[in-house]
Amino acid sequence: MFWARECPHCRNMMPLVDRLIEEEGVEIEKLEIWHNEENADLMRSFKDVIAPKCGGQLRTPTFFNTETNDVICGEVEYVVLKEWALK
Amino acid sequence: MKKYWRCFVCNDIHYGVKSPEICPTCQVKNAYVEISSAEAETICRTAKAEKVDFEKDKFLGAIEKFAEKNEFEVNPDREKVTMLLDGIYNNEKNHNLKYCPCRLITKDFAEDLKLVCPCNFLAHDTYREKGECWCGLFVRRK
Repeated sequence: MFWARECPHCRNMMPLVDRLIEEEGVEIEKLEIWHNEENADLMRSFKDVIAPKCGGQLRTPTFFNTETNDVICGEVEYVVLKEWALK
Repeated sequence: MKKYWRCFVCNDIHYGVKSPEICPTCQVKNAYVEISSAEAETICRTAKAEKVDFEKDKFLGAIEKFAEKNEFEVNPDREKVTMLLDGIYNNEKNHNLKYCPCRLITKDFAEDLKLVCPCNFLAHDTYREKGECWCGLFVRRK
């Protein structure tokens, strides 16, 4: 998960991510991108995969499944996030 | 291609494909002459030396005024606005421009100018579909 510290969508999604980790035992790395240049570079390195699915941009939050290349941008319901993680 | 223009009367600088027909500051007609980027930078840098404070409150006032005559407004959710302004100002401090806190710069400067707040969000899918810019700072007026 790529997120930003001052992004309200990320703040809203965080409890759902924590619930998913706790209930399903999945591993989701939370990488802050505006205050950590390493994380920002990592997100930029996935631009070709992420951007086409996010309005051509690098938006937060972005949920990127490195195994399936599935991408979700923005706020979604828990069930959608769960499906993304368990695919 | 955009160029720099200077009003020969009051030294207003304009950056654009064409010069304004009437100078918005001194109202003189046909007053703009094309200049080099170096000249424009020098004039703007000198003007900057006069130090214009633009803290969060002033920026908020500016975008409220900007929204006044448009179909959108600054989000009435003040908690959200405060969080976003913190992000915008942190980005200006750390990355030189008021970049959107909910998108990441690509390091292609021309491309990243599209992320400076306020951006051209009317063209975005999120505004067209949900009536909000991506970060939610601006919402369609109800």
